[in-house]
Amino acid sequence: MTEPRKIGWSRPTPIVPSQSVAGRTLMLLIGIMTFLSCVTFGGVLLVQKSAVGWSADVGREVTIQIRPLDGEVLESNLRLAVSIAEGVPGVSSAHALTLEESERLLEPWLGAGLDLSDLAIPRLVVVRLADPNAADIARLEREISAISGASLETHAAWRVQLNTMAGTIVVSGILVLALILVATALAIVFATRGTMSTNREIVDVLHFIGASNRFIAGEFQGRFLMIGLRGGIVGGVAAILFFIFISAAMSTVMPEQSSAQLGVLFGQFSLGVAGLLGIVGVVLVIAGLTAITSRLTVRRFLSQIS
Amino acid sequence: MIAFENVGLRYGHGPEILKDLTFRIAPGSFHFLTGPSGSGKTSLLRLLLLSLKPSRGTISMFGEDVTNLERDRLLQMRRHIGIVFQEFRLLDHLTTFENVALPHRVRGQSEASYRANVQELLDWVGLGDKMDALPAVLSGGEKQRAAIARAVISKPDILLADEPTGNVDPELSERLLHLFDELNRMGTTIILATHELNLLRKFDYPRMLLEHGELTFHD
Ligand SMILES: Nc1ncnc2c1ncn2[C@@H]1O[C@H](COP(=O)(O)OP(=O)(O)O)[C@@H](O)[C@H]1O
Ligand SMILES: [Mg+2]
Repeated sequence: MTEPRKIGWSRPTPIVPSQSVAGRTLMLLIGIMTFLSCVTFGGVLLVQKSAVGWSADVGREVTIQIRPLDGEVLESNLRLAVSIAEGVPGVSSAHALTLEESERLLEPWLGAGLDLSDLAIPRLVVVRLADPNAADIARLEREISAISGASLETHAAWRVQLNTMAGTIVVSGILVLALILVATALAIVFATRGTMSTNREIVDVLHFIGASNRFIAGEFQGRFLMIGLRGGIVGGVAAILFFIFISAAMSTVMPEQSSAQLGVLFGQFSLGVAGLLGIVGVVLVIAGLTAITSRLTVRRFLSQIS
Repeated sequence: MIAFENVGLRYGHGPEILKDLTFRIAPGSFHFLTGPSGSGKTSLLRLLLLSLKPSRGTISMFGEDVTNLERDRLLQMRRHIGIVFQEFRLLDHLTTFENVALPHRVRGQSEASYRANVQELLDWVGLGDKMDALPAVLSGGEKQRAAIARAVISKPDILLADEPTGNVDPELSERLLHLFDELNRMGTTIILATHELNLLRKFDYPRMLLEHGELTFHD
């Protein structure tokens, strides 16, 4: 008689031996693909967020420009423009830039210590809108046109351009993501077929002892789901670290001022909750893609040989 | 139990390997399947294992036409048939216990439910002390006993064996044959392919002789 086997024996040896699955290579590949997907996704998100924020900021402001004309008193025209603007529904405030403010605006381009009073420089009235959608821009434009030399700048053309550019980047990003996913799926197909061929003897043995294709497929694709999940998590974590590193680098390496400007430009490089959720989503999509692709490949292989 | 009717088999567009086989095999019988190498013994066993379809004719097993079974039914049928090969075909990374337990495992049963059954069978074939050994450290005879245990663990009605003693010493061959004999006494229908003359001389079972694609019976 023999000793009874230990009860509570740990999990049985996998039927598909782990060293026969090209696991490490595939995991690395999936990790890299996940990383690329996450960085692409994060980049697209940042561009999108910044563009929306920027566009909204600019949209909350219109500018009335008054050119100095002979025979017109610029200061009184400025005051008139302010009072017209304040009378338009949806406007929260209107403010004529003083000569000094205009000088300061132009300083970076024309140098310090310039005296605008010598030059025929247009003067500006900055009109802040309470609600860009409700503001009656058309009426403002109509009433302003009564002032000679005055024109309204709504930045509309500029915003269209910004939105087009941001849209192009988003579409390209999505295209890149799709291509990465397709490439990943193809790599998984090859890896799965390779593994199945390597383990052909096991498949045959399982067949003649009465295993169903479903059972055999399960033994194989369980492996691939684990590989996909692990690779995905590695890539996702690497991407999060990448974004943390970039935003840290931005705030330390860059001089404060330009970093602040970049911050305005790129929303502080912080992905926020949406970004993190997105990265988790990318990881899940890639793990799921791995599972589904290997499942289909295994099923195809099995139905081809039987 | 098994009935062949005008069964022919060819691989692809090649010549007919098996020609017009018509025979019946009674339940509980034991037959040697003999014939020269390349005469089609393995092919005939593959037909019986339902892993090959005949090119013509009909095969029925357990009273059911199996020539055109759908996959699920075929799977159920195959679970009533055990098979032993000359090359053992154990899975190298699994222990003796795990190899023998495999048919239980692929049916989704838990280890607790079959542990005792597997142990008992391993004791019976004389491998009780080799349960945790990997195939690599077993002798040819031990591997074949493990393979036989795997083939009969789920109590098949039919046991097919394709030259099971081909890779085993002659004395051990005889002992393996006694195992098959005992299984047959317990009610298993057995078809055992071999061309070893000493076995054919020693054991007095009816013979099916394959030659030139034709099958003849000799009692
Ligand atoms: N898968 C196959 N494809 C083509 N020909 C095969 C295949 N298997 C066996 N044969 C041929 O069928 C004939 C019978 O082979 P087999 O059944 O293995 O004979 P035995 O087992 O009696 O040695 C041989 O000529 C062999 O070459
Ligand atoms: Mg053969």
